Amino acid sequence: MSAYTEGIITLLMINAIAAMGVCLLTGFTGVFTLGHAAYMALGGYATAILTVKYHLHWLPAVVAGGILAIVVAYVIGIPTLKLMGDYYAIASIGLGEAIRLILENWQSVTRGARGYPGIPTFTTMPVAVGFFLVLAFLLFCLLNGSYGRMFKACRDDHIAAALLGYDTARVRVLSLVLSAFYCGVSGGLLAGFLSFIQPVMFDMLKSTELTAVVVFGGLGSLSGCLLGTTIITLVTELFRPISQYRMLIYGAVLVIIMVLRPEGIMGQYEFGPKLFRKLFGRKAPAQERR
Amino acid sequence: MGTLLQQIINGLSLGSVYALIAVGYSLVYSILLFSNFAHGSFLVIGGYSCYFALKTLGMNIWLAGGLSLLAAGASAILTERLAYKPIRERTNVTLYLLIASMGMSIVIENIFVVTVGGRFRALPPVIPTDPVNLFGLATTSAFDLISLVVAVICLGGLQIFLTRTKWGLAIRAAAYNLRIAGLMGVNVSRLISLVFFVAGVLAAVGGIFLSVRYTLYPQLGGITIKAFVAAVIGGLGSLPGAVVGSLILGLAEMLTAGFISSQLRDLVVFSLLVITLLFRPTGLFGKSVGEKI
Repeated sequence: MSAYTEGIITLLMINAIAAMGVCLLTGFTGVFTLGHAAYMALGGYATAILTVKYHLHWLPAVVAGGILAIVVAYVIGIPTLKLMGDYYAIASIGLGEAIRLILENWQSVTRGARGYPGIPTFTTMPVAVGFFLVLAFLLFCLLNGSYGRMFKACRDDHIAAALLGYDTARVRVLSLVLSAFYCGVSGGLLAGFLSFIQPVMFDMLKSTELTAVVVFGGLGSLSGCLLGTTIITLVTELFRPISQYRMLIYGAVLVIIMVLRPEGIMGQYEFGPKLFRKLFGRKAPAQERR
Repeated sequence: MGTLLQQIINGLSLGSVYALIAVGYSLVYSILLFSNFAHGSFLVIGGYSCYFALKTLGMNIWLAGGLSLLAAGASAILTERLAYKPIRERTNVTLYLLIASMGMSIVIENIFVVTVGGRFRALPPVIPTDPVNLFGLATTSAFDLISLVVAVICLGGLQIFLTRTKWGLAIRAAAYNLRIAGLMGVNVSRLISLVFFVAGVLAAVGGIFLSVRYTLYPQLGGITIKAFVAAVIGGLGSLPGAVVGSLILGLAEMLTAGFISSQLRDLVVFSLLVITLLFRPTGLFGKSVGEKI
């Protein structure tokens, strides 16, 4: 396998880990976010500083990045997620931009807008694939267990969920915290992959991309979100030669998908016998859509 | 003392330009309950049409300004018809509208990158920027005073339109409840087009002033994120809130730039947003929408 292919697969895995985080929050819990690149930035910078300045081994550094993201998400999530509606989405814009600006201006720690160089390149393809498999397996188990049902109940009807005895605000905070951990780890791995990170890599465009990928794949479908990540990552790689038109095509795809198929490629379905039965079966089982 | 007064005037002038943009955000939000992130592109369209009307067609500022207002208003209607209307008619999930609006903002920004190029352009000197001495107390530029006056005229006009005309009444009714306004015989489709037109026109006025203050480039629309912050601080959907929020933001930004550090001005803006959401999530004038999704 050529180094180029390996690089793309590694990048794909890193993007997929972040997308899984957003998928848990937006797809399964119904909380919209526009600032998850900030958690990636926190994870990336924590990993960079811990490995370069304090010569920590990369594995605890990546985990520490994830934990830092958890702490920040908890502090922001407690007041804003008590309210239904767009409040967390709006706060996440402010948070995302504020964290990027702090990273740009805190010269003594983050080396400012010029970026943080010289991070050891520990994210090889096996490391990225390993992280992806472990985190995907954990998320799969979580979503198919009682926690997954709890998240989905709060998404579909928060009043009914509250009547069943769930503290919906706490469920949303839990979902946010877990998704922040995924994004933090993804940011740490990205730092180890590129060996150089810059605040501008984690701007609002990146946050939009994370959310767009999840909506593109289908809200509430884990396999759809992975499919969406694969398509968007490959499309941006394929269009690299005509970079001028790349963003134009990306934006147009976003609008067209929303107009033609707002529920995303996969809808709420997962890859599996159910989907095939629906597509090819003589008579699809009565799958009522919400 | 002089510096303080000067920074306050600069802050009010910047805030009044933000107000023109924030009011557009709030108008659209009050009707359709989603944040139209493509709003910044109407501003860029206004700026570029003014630039080309002045440079290529050789018009005077009044004609060019009028043309750019029409162009921005028309493109706002077109955006609504192309991207939002099909979604609006199919589902009432505002999330899809939000993502479509981000897509539109990326598309319009990059249409300008591809066609006219990403370089920075300066508008010809159509608005005087000479220094003006205010009763010997402070010196400020004529541009700041003109933008303040124009913004006040536009906002006053909007207020009269909303309170004194039949369509204004319809808009206020729709902000209260779009469905029932439709049942009462308001042509909802035309009303929404009108709202987008008004929002586009106001954004274009802001766009012309912003492209004189800074320069004109395809990413200029990104600055509307601050107008959005202002709309949130004032309370989304509330027009007086949008104006007050914009003035607070403009003052905070200019005072930070003048007395602390100009690098921190953006940080102050976004910290204000987070603090507002932590302590008063509905904003200063927002109606309580605790259950609304």
